[in-house]
Order: sequence, then structure tokens, then C-alpha cells
Amino acid sequence: MKHYLKTILGLLIGSVLVFAFSSNTIADSHKRVDRLRAAIIGDESTINPFTYVTGEPGWNILMMQYDSLYTLGIDGQPQPWLVTKLVRSADRLTYTLTLRDDVYYNDGKKLTAHDVKFTFDYLTKYPVGRFAKDIRGFSSANVLNDYKIEIHLKKPRAGYVRKAFADVPIFPRHIWSEVTDPKKHQFESVTNVGSGPYIMVDYKPDQYYRLKANHKYFAGTPRVEELILVKFADESSSHAAFRTNSVDILFKNIPPEQISMLKGIKGVSIVQGPLFTTQLVIMNYDHKPFHMVEVRKAIAYAIDRQKLVDTIYLGAATVGSNGWIHPKSPYFNNQVKTRYNLAKAKSLLDSVGIKDTDGDGIREYEGKPMAFELITPNNNALRLRLAELIKGKLLDVGIKITVGSVEQNTWEGAVWPDFDVNKGRNYAMSMWGWSAGVQADTFRAPELVHSNTGVGFLNLTGVSNKEIDRISNLMDTEDVLARRVELVKQLQAAIAEEMPFITLMYPDGPYAYWSSKYDGLAYISGQGIVNKLSFIPKSAWP
Amino acid sequence: MKTSSLAFSENSEISIVSKKRKRKRRFNSGRVSGIAGCTIVTCLILAAIFAKQLSPYDPSSQSGKPFSPPSAEHLLGTNDIGQDILSELVYGARISLTIGIVASIVAMVIGTTVGLLAGYYPRVLGRVLMRFVDIILIIPFLPLLILLAAYLGRSLVYTVLIIGALIWAGTARVIRSQVLTIVKQDYVLAARTIGASDLHIIVLHILPQVLLLAVGQFVQATSGAILLEAALSFLGLGDPLQKSWGTVLYWAQVRGVFLTPAWKWWVLPPGMLISLAALGFALMGFALEQVINPRLKNNSK
Amino acid sequence: MRSSRGNRILEYLVVFVIAVSLNFFLPRLMPGNPLALLAGVDVGLMTPEEKAKVKEEAGLDRPLWEQYIDYWNDLLHGDFGYSYKQKAPITKMIGDRLPWTLLITGSSLIISAIFGVIFGAISAWNRAKPVDIGLLWTMILMGSMPTFWLGMMLISIVSVDLQLLPSFGAMTPAFFGTFWESVADVASHTILPVITLSVWSIPGVYLTMRYTMLSVLGADFIRTARSKGLSEKTVLFRHVVRNSLAPVVTVLAIRLGFAFGGTVVVETVFSYPGLGRLIFESVSGRDYPVLQATFLVITVAVLVSNILADMLYPLLDPRAKAN
Repeated sequence: MKHYLKTILGLLIGSVLVFAFSSNTIADSHKRVDRLRAAIIGDESTINPFTYVTGEPGWNILMMQYDSLYTLGIDGQPQPWLVTKLVRSADRLTYTLTLRDDVYYNDGKKLTAHDVKFTFDYLTKYPVGRFAKDIRGFSSANVLNDYKIEIHLKKPRAGYVRKAFADVPIFPRHIWSEVTDPKKHQFESVTNVGSGPYIMVDYKPDQYYRLKANHKYFAGTPRVEELILVKFADESSSHAAFRTNSVDILFKNIPPEQISMLKGIKGVSIVQGPLFTTQLVIMNYDHKPFHMVEVRKAIAYAIDRQKLVDTIYLGAATVGSNGWIHPKSPYFNNQVKTRYNLAKAKSLLDSVGIKDTDGDGIREYEGKPMAFELITPNNNALRLRLAELIKGKLLDVGIKITVGSVEQNTWEGAVWPDFDVNKGRNYAMSMWGWSAGVQADTFRAPELVHSNTGVGFLNLTGVSNKEIDRISNLMDTEDVLARRVELVKQLQAAIAEEMPFITLMYPDGPYAYWSSKYDGLAYISGQGIVNKLSFIPKSAWP
Repeated sequence: MKTSSLAFSENSEISIVSKKRKRKRRFNSGRVSGIAGCTIVTCLILAAIFAKQLSPYDPSSQSGKPFSPPSAEHLLGTNDIGQDILSELVYGARISLTIGIVASIVAMVIGTTVGLLAGYYPRVLGRVLMRFVDIILIIPFLPLLILLAAYLGRSLVYTVLIIGALIWAGTARVIRSQVLTIVKQDYVLAARTIGASDLHIIVLHILPQVLLLAVGQFVQATSGAILLEAALSFLGLGDPLQKSWGTVLYWAQVRGVFLTPAWKWWVLPPGMLISLAALGFALMGFALEQVINPRLKNNSK
Repeated sequence: MRSSRGNRILEYLVVFVIAVSLNFFLPRLMPGNPLALLAGVDVGLMTPEEKAKVKEEAGLDRPLWEQYIDYWNDLLHGDFGYSYKQKAPITKMIGDRLPWTLLITGSSLIISAIFGVIFGAISAWNRAKPVDIGLLWTMILMGSMPTFWLGMMLISIVSVDLQLLPSFGAMTPAFFGTFWESVADVASHTILPVITLSVWSIPGVYLTMRYTMLSVLGADFIRTARSKGLSEKTVLFRHVVRNSLAPVVTVLAIRLGFAFGGTVVVETVFSYPGLGRLIFESVSGRDYPVLQATFLVITVAVLVSNILADMLYPLLDPRAKAN
């Protein structure tokens, strides 16, 4: 017993010494780092294109082991990566790509046009969520030579470079051609053969991943030799580990209340930037009276979004625009105004005859009180608090809200049954949020609001507006960037006029890391820091 | 599976201890716990009733800045959206105690009914019912909880029903074993021979005999129900926007305060209140048990 | 005698079949579905045809009764299938988690057995003396503390303020030390969860022990033993304690069964990678195969421990044996 206590004590003292030593070392951002420990929440399985679990950071970690034809630059726009030249035919149905000829997979085989063709064919045969959508419209690929390939589409698709080329990892034909059940296939040990800057060498489920630098990486040797991704069951334990420097970097953006607390620790830095995730209130058009634009607008006017940002996010968010698009987006329409105005909210409701006739403080619509359930998932603390405060605000204009705290999967099933908007909607009002991907590509906005569910497959509210449809259709075929930008600005104005949902805010993406250990992370606008640029030489950034 | 029924399975004699002990003046633990338990519970119930007068603020209003430490205005500081924590705790007594008490009433009614039936009809119905009790104790309650929540709706009522449904099985076992001994007693046999109906015997002869036992079970179950409510709230399976002691702790957990100095005013007090309430009912239950079970009575006559 | 034992086994079998069936149906009766896990988070981006294909691959498009038959079939062949979420064989996942759960629940079970029995015996032997009253009230108070709160407090005081012990997980993340260093590391991580669990579980054992021993103390044969002039020590150990152990062992056997299920609450507070946490995580994603398999582990463990308790009882209780 005594001996064992000694061991613990020794370990403790040892770790204190290590801690003291590491925080005294002067940071040198150009210095190579031997080992960096990053915290992730939840297991990501074997992180190959068919098994990674979450969109963020799962996909981001996946892309550290693989490369795509294009990759996102610091500004969040796609830049050529494996590709040196791209030519698009006049009918927009054929892309001819010339590839780099110096890219190798980590097992020594060259990455060629055959792998690109294989990747597209294989994903067509075995669709997985994100990549199936990415390549949609793909018809066939034609290898011209080892480094030249033609991609044919069934019909023109705007923004294909971003959707398909900058998102799909090119995986090796010589490994995957023998795999017939990719979702279940368990590779012996962890042979994820990719071309990316890191190679996974060890994976202990529920504990950690060990990634080693790929010294033959075509864009230069990574600056961190060994990247250890430590799995945590939840955020608070990862924060505890971070404070004691048991991990050096948090791969999940930190909640607002942690910013000031972590900033106070010597050696810790916070990098903060726009993140294109959203907090929304959505209203079901089939649930009267939400079919009336005056009601939706009144609710939007009644919610003090700045106050919500200040109270719940402690300022670490940007107030939502009625036009959906983040003000930091290059295509933001600054003519769209978003205001908080209780009097306006009340007069709008009065104007359509929704008044309090029985003096109980709650307005009536067609004889029934304006009382609705606002549902929200019970595992999202900030959303619960948002709903709680919105409830108070709406009571001020005579609308009674009950907040329904619903188990996550049940809530999703009510708002978006089977993830298919054709299957109806079973809610009155709900809290909602989209991941960064939906807004990162500004031109995806029609997906949220087009009345044709083939295009508007994320149209959760049931909005049907001729003007919105018209602009969206034009965007789909418009090819000149300047004119597309003009259209997307018009679309923002039209969305603000229709108010199909209320964009409450865009939470910031604050990331915490021990800058005394490693600096020089790449914050990709709207995407955050978990990307390969953060770990390769700056000179190689696109 | 016999544990809970053990205490009542045999009618052994009153314990007799050595003379040396007999002479000593006894500390009547039953009575003291009873008084202590009643005092605690009464105080808490009074706080719940007069919550409006006792709490400095409306707990749902944002009366201060978020995450404020204790001050003259807010004795226990404010929570993550600036609500007064002290007021939350005072009002929390209402929800926590109501859920605890109502859920145990539900459990007592179900448990006593099942126990009576299983004890009175021990052959077929009794066996079936007791195996059902076994299943209840085995099936994983988490999905059951979500299932019930989805179908029963989202309100306090369902929390109460779920807790009640989870804890009645123990009561059923205790009542059953007591009934098994009662039915063998003369007056029950006599009532049977004169042709009294089963219902008549159960309601008039057996129920009064087990009523005190059921009440004892109820008081003990309340202690458990209060703890269960706190645990469910903590896991986020209750309604996090209802002000109970458990939800105050839930918010402390999800907004990471127990890693900061704020635990002293945000985590410590609600936990102490939950413990106090559970303790109060447990002490009352203990005292009642001394009265109900003759073997545990102080017998220094 | 034999036929009644046969009945008992039959009854347990029926309970088992019903419980295992519920393990299949309960997760599927929950609203929502596992599509998001099967297809990846970006399931919303897929066309209805693509989603249908994903469902078909997992066999979820077939009638429920067919899936139910398959479930039994796989079960009898020992095939637990693949996790929808982690895309890993479930036997392996449970194998990874169960030892951790058993480490903390087992340790606390042993601790509560030792302390519960000792304190219970002391209490009953010194009945109504200050020692008894003090122990009794302490135990009732211990049993009244919410476990998760106690865990939070221990983390705040011992881990954060005093920085003595780690606050989360089963081992230091990515710890690459020697074998003995790893052992010490794991041990230091188990201390707080085990304390938390023990504080919750000692009072139950204590009360059972005290309760039974009090009734044994009043029984005829103890009076006989005393009147024979045996020393108090002999009476205590040879007669009283021995005769009081049966119910305690029963309680412990049943607890052992539940030990396999882990304790969601404590595992949540300490972010401990146990089975309870796995169940909790799998429920929200509707990871049916994981839920079925973990429930099965619990069902079997609880049933076996119950049967064990049933069988042990007459063996341990000399009076029951005499009958």
C-alpha cells in the first residue's frame, strides 16, 4: 500500500515538474513540435471515408489523412490542391482536371487519375451521407492519362468545385477495390492508406488515436511530428484536462462561459473567428397562424437578439441576420436590416386581428389563444436557455410559449421525420440549428427555402414563396460569379421579407490551445482550426 | 430477491438482551429519529408553501448579471442567465418535494394493490405478478423512460409517473410477504369459512393490517424518489427548465461551474438540500419501522 | 421438492424470454430512428432513394417480426452484430467497456461488503449505545446523499482545489508508461468513483446486517448458547455473525448482478468509460444492436445473480437448512 502511494506521489510530482517546465519554455511558432495532444469528444471509429462518425471534427480529421482535389483556403474559398489545372466545357457538363504528379499514398503507391475515377465510381456504388450528396450529378469519369481525367455530369450543377472537388477524399483504388462492404469492413490494425499529412498508427477505441507525420507529404513535412487525439466522454472533462495541460489543444470550440476563464491561464491562447453554425427558431407553416407573414415577423421583432447574445453567449456570437447569411460572408447583403421592436411586433399582430379579446394577456386567433409549444432538444443546454428567454419575450407581446424539452432523436423525428421534408412536420415552433457546412457555401441558401423539395430538401418550415423560388432557380443556372452574388443578395432580401425562420445568432468559434507549446494554427473562416493547414508549413498554404 | 421481505417473513420473538443492558437507560433511537425527521420535513414543506414570501426574487426573472458571485443582493450569486440561485432553491423545494411525495403515493398505490393480490392469490396470479415484478426490476429503465416520455407527453406529470413506475416493485414484495402470513391467521380463515367474499376480506381484514406497513414503505420511498428525481434531472432526463434542486445542479454541470470556485455557492447548497430532504424522510421511515416491526421495538419493559 | 425447483427454473426461463424480447422491442418502440448513425451525420443531404438503400442494408426495411426472428437467431449463434455508430463488432465494444465498469462497481461492492458487515455487526452488538446511534445516523445520512452530487463535490475539492487525484476517465489520456506506472495511473483514477459508489452502497449492507443480527440476537438458540455460559466472543462469532450472513450475501449477490450494468450517474460525473455510459450514448443515437447486446448482458447478470441468491440462501442459513 505504501509503495503504491509512493508511486502515485512520484507521478504527481513528476507531472508537476513537466508542467512547470513546459510552461516556462518560450514559444517558438516555427519550431517543430514532437508531440501535440488534442482533445476530441466522442469516438470517431476508424476514421476512414466510410466509418468516420461526426461531421466535425470527424471529417476534418479524416482529411488530415487524405487529400481532396481542391481544399479550402484561409478565406474559406476552395483552392486547387491535388489539381494543377481545371477546364470546364462550355455546356458545363465536363470538367477536365490535370493532377499533380508528385503525390504518393503513404504505402508508397502513386496517387493517379485512376484513383480519382475509382473514388467517384465507388461512392456512387456505395453512397455515404456527405459524399453521396457531394458528387450528386456525377455521370462518369474518363481517364485520359495517369494525371489527366474527365469528369462528366448528367446535368450542370453550380458550385461543383466546392461541393465535390473540395470535399471528397481521394482514396486508393489498390486498397478499396477489394472491399465490398465498406461500412463494416475492419482493416487489419489501422491501415488507413491516404495521401494526407498524417498517418494513423495506433487506435485504442474510446481512448486515443495516434497520428504520425507523413514525411513524404507533397506539400511539405508537417510541423508536428506526432498528433495524439485523446477521446473524452464529454466537454467538461476535456476542459478539466486542458486546464492541467494534460492536452494541448481542444478540437471542439469552447462554450462562451469558458472564454474568460481559460484566457486567464498563462500560456493559453484563444483563437476566435466566425463559425457558420446557426441558432434558429423555426415555425411550421401548416400550423396556423404561422402561415401569416405578419405573425412570423411579429415574433422576429419581439425577440431581442442582442440581449440573447449578451446573456447566453456572453457576447461570443454575432446577432443573426433576417437574410440568413452571416455578415462576415463576402456575399452578405448589408441592406437587410434586423431590428428588435416590441411596438412593431404588437402592431403587426393587431393589424391582422390577432388581439387579446378576453383580457387574460394572451392574444386570440380565430377564438383560440395564441399558445404554442416551442420544442428543443434536452441535450443542448444553450438552446434550452435560449428557448426559456424567448418564452419570456413573447409573453410581452401576448403569445404564450411552453418550452418542450424533448429527447434529441424524438425532437429530430418531430421536426424532420426520416430526414425527409416530404414526410411532413409534427411541431408548431422549434429551436433548430444548421452545421457550418450549410452556410459555408453561401449559394446553398435555396436548399432551405425552395418550395420544390427536390431543391429545397432542407425546407423544414414549409415555406412556399414565388419570389424566392424564382431567384433560386436563376441561381442554379447562373454561371457568372458576379451575377450569382447579385442573386444571392436578392435572395437574402426575399428571405427577410418572408421570414420563414428566425436566425437568432451565429455563435463564434472560440478555440483554446496552449500557445506556449504550439502556435500558428490556421483558422479557416467559418470552419475553425481543425484542418491540415494548421499543421503543415505556412509556405504550403494555398 | 428475498431481502426486502426478510424482515417480515418470520414471526420470531421479541429480542431479549442481557440483564446488564436492560438496566441501562435507553436512548430511544426510534423516537428521536422520528422527531428529527418530522422537523426537517416540516421545515422544508413550510419553505415550499411560503416560497413566494421567503425568496428574495422571482426565480425566473433575470435579476442580476450571469455568473455573479455571492453579494448582498444575491446571497448565493446568480446562475448562467442571471437568475437568483437562492430563490431557485427556495422554489425548488416545491417541485422536488411534490415530485417525491406524489411519485411515492403512485408507487404505494400500485405496490400495495399488486402486493395484496399477489399475497392473497399466491398460486397463479401471485406467481405471475411476482415474475412481472422481477421483469420490472430487470428491464433497462433508460429507454423505458424515453418511451414513456414520448407517449405521455412532456410535463412534470410524466416525471412523477416514471419515478412511481420505477419504485413500486419493492413495496409490492414487502406487502405480499406480509399478506402471506396474514391470510393464515385465524380471523381471516374464519371470515372465509363464513363465506365472506374475497374483496370483502381483502378490503376489510387484510388492508387495515398492511396499511401501516404501506405508509412506512411510502415514507421510505419518498426519500428514494427525491434522490431519483435529482438524478434524472442531473442526467437531463427531467425538464431542465423546471426549478427543482436537481435541475440547479444540472445547470451547474452543463455550464462547467463545478470546475470553478462557483461550486461553493452553486453546487454545495442544492446538494445539501436534497440530502436533507432525503434524510428527513429516511429518519421518519426508520422511526415508523420501529413502530411497525415489533422485533425492533425497544423492549426494556 | 424437485418439481418445485423445476417450476422455479421454468419461471426464470419465462422471465428471461420476456426480458430478452423487451430488449429487442423497447429500443425499436422509441420514437425516432438510427438513420443518422447509419448514414452519417449528413443524412439530411441524401435523397430518399439513398436513404432507403441505407435502411435496406441494415435490414431495417423488413417487417418487425422478421427482424425479431433474426434477432433470436443471431443471439443463439452468439452473433451480436455491428454498432451502427462505431461500425465495430459489439462483442469487442462490450469487451472494452465491461472491465472498467466491473473495476469500479466490483471494488465498491467488496468495500461495502466489508464495511457494511463490520459496522452492522458493531451496531447490533452495541445496540442503542452511542456507537450504534452514531453509526446508524451516519449511515442514514450517507444513504441520503445524491451520488452524483457527492462525485461533483469530490471532484471540486480533491481534484480541482487540492489537485490530489484525477477527476475524469479511467486512465490518463494517451499515457505511455511502464506497466506498473499504468497500474498506479489506473488505480488513482478509480479512487474517487469507488468512494462515491461505496458511500452509496455501504448503508444498504449495513442496515441489512444490523437488522438481521438484531433478530438473531433475540432468537432462542442464542439464549441457549448464552445460558450454557459460552463467552460473549464465542457467541458473537460462532453463532450470531454466522447466522446473520445469509441475507447480507443475498443482498450482495443481487448487487453483483446490477454491477454489470454500471452506474450511469457515476460514470457520467467522472466521464468513466463504462457500460452505463455506453448505454446512455447509444440510446440517443438509437444504436439498436448495441442496446440489445448491453441489455442482454445486464439481463443475464441480474437473473444469474438472483438464481445464485436463491440457491445460496438455504446453504448459508443454518436454520433454513435445518428445516
